[in-house]
Amino acid sequence: MILGPIVLLAIITVAMAVEAADAPSVIRHLYLGPTVWAALSLGARGGGLVGFIACLVQAPFTLPAMERLGLGPESIDGLVSMTMPPALGVAVGGLVDQVRTRAARLQTVLDLQRDLLRDATLQERLDRAADRVRDLLGAQRLALVVGCTAARVVASSPGGVVFLDRSAVAWTLREGLPLLIHDLEQDPRFPAGPAAGPSPVRGLILPLDSGSGPVGALAVERVGGFPLSTRAVAKEMALQLALVVENARLALLQQRFAEELEAKVLAATDRLRQLDQAKTEFVSVVAHELRTPLTALQGFTELLVSRAVPPERTAKALSHLHREAERLGRIVAELLDVSRIESGRPLELKPEAVDLCEMIDRNIELFAAQHQGHRFRCVPHPDARTLEADRDAVDRILKNLISNAVKYSPGGGRVIVRTMPADDHPGMIEMSVEDDGVGIPADQRSRIFDKYVRVRDRQTTAVRGLGLGLALVRALTEAHGGHVEVESLPGKGSTFRVFLPGEQAVLADFPDSSA
Amino acid sequence: MTTAVPLMRLLSVPFDPGRARSVERPRWSGVVTASAVVAVLGAGLAMEAAHGDLRHIGQGIARGAVHAAFLVAGWIIAVSRQDCLGPVVRAAASLFVASIASTFSLWGALLYLLPPLMLLSEGVRREALRHVGLCATARLRSVVLGLGAGMFLGGHLLISASLTFGYLVSVSNVGQYLAAVAYDVGANALTAEWLFRAAIFSRAWRRWEFWPSAALSTSLAVTRYMADPALPHAIEARVGAVFYCALLGFTACALRAESGSILPGYLATVTFFAAYRMLVP
Repeated sequence: MILGPIVLLAIITVAMAVEAADAPSVIRHLYLGPTVWAALSLGARGGGLVGFIACLVQAPFTLPAMERLGLGPESIDGLVSMTMPPALGVAVGGLVDQVRTRAARLQTVLDLQRDLLRDATLQERLDRAADRVRDLLGAQRLALVVGCTAARVVASSPGGVVFLDRSAVAWTLREGLPLLIHDLEQDPRFPAGPAAGPSPVRGLILPLDSGSGPVGALAVERVGGFPLSTRAVAKEMALQLALVVENARLALLQQRFAEELEAKVLAATDRLRQLDQAKTEFVSVVAHELRTPLTALQGFTELLVSRAVPPERTAKALSHLHREAERLGRIVAELLDVSRIESGRPLELKPEAVDLCEMIDRNIELFAAQHQGHRFRCVPHPDARTLEADRDAVDRILKNLISNAVKYSPGGGRVIVRTMPADDHPGMIEMSVEDDGVGIPADQRSRIFDKYVRVRDRQTTAVRGLGLGLALVRALTEAHGGHVEVESLPGKGSTFRVFLPGEQAVLADFPDSSA
Repeated sequence: MTTAVPLMRLLSVPFDPGRARSVERPRWSGVVTASAVVAVLGAGLAMEAAHGDLRHIGQGIARGAVHAAFLVAGWIIAVSRQDCLGPVVRAAASLFVASIASTFSLWGALLYLLPPLMLLSEGVRREALRHVGLCATARLRSVVLGLGAGMFLGGHLLISASLTFGYLVSVSNVGQYLAAVAYDVGANALTAEWLFRAAIFSRAWRRWEFWPSAALSTSLAVTRYMADPALPHAIEARVGAVFYCALLGFTACALRAESGSILPGYLATVTFFAAYRMLVP
């Protein structure tokens, strides 16, 4: 590219030599032509070099003329036209360099922004950004490191660079300071490496800061010089890359939020679907549960109304009616309690001293009479006889637990009810109901105290119920300040433990009046 | 086939910010060698004061001592502490021999071809000398640029000196001219490139940017020529020496930086001085 201006320069010189005038020739002014040409094509270096050569080739013509003519206006004019080409070459070339550098910088920034919007993976976009900045800086190697505490290389040009925690980049990330190394191969702060090359390898590390704090570092290795102008460009690119990294980080965050939101929406939709299904099942079960006693009520009342029934059969029919009405009442009571719990209203409890043994015996007698296939036993503890609780609530807790023990032991079996002081919970009494039925599978154990949940087992598909019993047990127990636990093994049975406040828990709140 | 992972020293190599550059103590062998050279120079200058053959021998010794000192100084600056001075002492000795031989006979100047060959062989043997630019080859483009720069400056010198100051451009005695060129090849240009570009410029460039390093190297080179007793005392000669030596120095530094070798700058210097030898005051 410099050949053209040089050739033109030579032609002008030959023309001047051929003219061989006594005074400095006017042809000398033509030297500005190749100088400006070189400056516009090659910048300050080319313009300065061609201008300097133009100055030198004018010297053999101008200096002898000066000697002959003396220091007159013509000589001064000759001197001025001798010095103009190098000055003009450097000035114009410098302006051209500035414009080109600025244009290259702006183009790189534009390309970086365009790359961000491209339809490509984040890694491809970062690699492309690293390539562009490396080309702009004329560097041999460039790496973009992200993170200050757990730093990693996100892009490098060429790729595949390995990051060491004790490296110079790691030091910059810790200290937050830029670092310029004039000679990477012989700097004593690095261990000795392979024999150095003929040109020094400069290293520059700049922290990346997008304005919201340090986000990483830019590392550049360049063979030869690393002039101030190039370092200024590197600083500007570091800012742009910090913005790129910050944008990429925000895009990743946004993507993660979107994914989490989508997962939550899916989970919520799934839950709604399950609730809807549960509601449908619940309505079906409630309708079925209510229909059974209602059908019995309807049937027996119709029988009594429509026919003359013998007294013994009437008594039996009335007994059935009473039982089904009680059952209907229990179902409605359960539904009302669940409704109260779901609406957040507190359960109305009337704590009083409850004889636990008497209540257990009464319930065992009731269930034994109805379920002759099961063996019931009560194991009371002498120190766990009285509860301070709502009588009805305790009765319902017991009835639900024993009912479940019977329902989920379809082949018969034993049901043991125990009481004992709760050693781990002072002031509490533990009441346990143990059966040797089908047990609860481990994956369903966590949900059995939820509303409308029933254990799915092929042996107990005929078991009727709304799935509210254990939910009520838990609600009633927790309303007393207690809690309920379960242990179960599929095929071996289950043990439900209810912890309720004993009478001592109340007395413990009051100092001993005899002290 | 595995792909080599590129090593980036800024990322992949341990960095110890507390480790400072150690102050290099002068090597005793270098001090002894420099002292010996100074002693020899003194002896040569003393012998120059004598008459007859001793005077010629003294001139040869003094000239050889100066260039030997440049060789040794350049070696000490350029080469690591672990390397011995043997190769440079041998090259310096060959300089002495050539210098003395050339005072007795023009054919003795042929011995000036030895020192560049010896230095070149060291460059081929020791890969470590490549970091100062001592290698057998350079890119053709750089070699052509070097020759072209030397020819341009030499031609400009001849034209300017003849047109401006009335100097004659001629080669009256071919033998003497070739002996002078041989001296430039084996001593003048060789030691200048070795000391100022290979040693001083290369070392400075590793710590500073190009222009300050080139300015240091070139100013020292100009000083060397100003102090040369062979330089004419005429004012125009001295001004011209400063001008052309400065241009030559910066050009040689630029060629060294661009090509990684001192060969293009060496050729530029040899070519320039070949033109200079044609000038007759």
